Amino acid sequence: MTPSTRTLWRDGLWSNNPGLVQLLGLCPLLAVTGTAINGLGLGLATLAVLTASNLLVSMLRHQVAPELRIPVFVLIIATLVTVVDRILAAFLYDLWTTLGIFIPLIVTNCTLLARAEAFASRRPVVDALHDGLAQGSGFLLVLVVLGAVRELIGHGSLLAGADQLFGPAAAGLTLQLFPEQHGLLLAVLPPGAFIGLGLLVALRQHLQNRQPAPRTAPAAADPGPETA
Amino acid sequence: MSGSRQRPLLVLGVVAAAAAVLLAGVHQWTAAPIAEQAERRAHATLTQLLPDDSYDNDPIRDRFPAWIAGLEAPSTIHRARQDGEPAALLADVTTSEGYSGPIRLLIALRPNGDVLGVRVLEHRETPGLGDRIERDRSDWITRFDDRALGDPPVDDWRPDRRGGAFDTLSSATITSAAVIDAVRRVLAWQHDNRERIFDIPSVTE
Repeated sequence: MTPSTRTLWRDGLWSNNPGLVQLLGLCPLLAVTGTAINGLGLGLATLAVLTASNLLVSMLRHQVAPELRIPVFVLIIATLVTVVDRILAAFLYDLWTTLGIFIPLIVTNCTLLARAEAFASRRPVVDALHDGLAQGSGFLLVLVVLGAVRELIGHGSLLAGADQLFGPAAAGLTLQLFPEQHGLLLAVLPPGAFIGLGLLVALRQHLQNRQPAPRTAPAAADPGPETA
Repeated sequence: MSGSRQRPLLVLGVVAAAAAVLLAGVHQWTAAPIAEQAERRAHATLTQLLPDDSYDNDPIRDRFPAWIAGLEAPSTIHRARQDGEPAALLADVTTSEGYSGPIRLLIALRPNGDVLGVRVLEHRETPGLGDRIERDRSDWITRFDDRALGDPPVDDWRPDRRGGAFDTLSSATITSAAVIDAVRRVLAWQHDNRERIFDIPSVTE
């Protein structure tokens, strides 16, 4: 990995994470994270669309005139989302029914257009590919972690519905850590999504602030968050 | 001048054409599996309360609309038959008495009016409280199995919290009452129409 791709991955997963730092795509993020598996399903779909759209946008960056960028990008993203939606419906019908409207709504996930416009349309294909994978993985991680936390607190289980994503053999992956009636209902309801995301953002910020200051400025009194 | 204006449009046209071709191809590839899955799901949902060998027709198509007092109209009545003889009646009904929206129920009756079983198809009841009407979350919904219009007496088709004969889901009296009421209404409708239910021609638009 060259230093620049390492930066891309650190941006996507941590310092410029789409869910926790850019705070983009919050509508699906808050809506589907009732369980870890729902989060994983939508995360994978978003990752696939984001990577493919970054790739195509970067390949077409010299052909597309500036005034046509937005329509072309939207067309590309909408097409890819439709493809993913149809494939999920055909082969993972149960998961597709659970995720419902949030698969088509990937079109409106600002992360996709933001990465296409701000990154992929200006950078070579390899960088755009890494950026798509990194940003998509960062979003996926937030979805899975938030889903797992809410599922654990609300239902006392982890990975419920794994068979929807991985087939009947995965039904045994579900862990019931304590009986469901002791769960905190609030975590599953919409306010739980907001509170959970807020806590995750705060946790990331806390860990960021605890990191030692960059080597160029050692022994700074207050390292503060890295500015991108 | 004209060249620089036409080329962007050409690019847009090519991208749009490529998108159209890709989508047409994906549709060709996935249309059949999707239709098959949807059909399988509809069939599995409808026949979940019927023993496998209790019918030999297609209950999905053997159906007609019905207007049942107190339920959202129209309800859909499906019929299962074995060798042409009535095997079971499947009522797909929606009550608007739910706590936070309509509750859609599948109610299966034997030809004599006994309840084979009841399942919830769709609802928006409170997670953790009202959603225990789902079979996956509690066995409350099985309290209706083998009941009939006179068992318990008509006046006792209410949650016990309201003086009836059925357990009340705690903190979900309204939800419980809505489901019990819907089952009673379907039973009453079946009783009033029992002579002709299996003779009504199928209506599949």
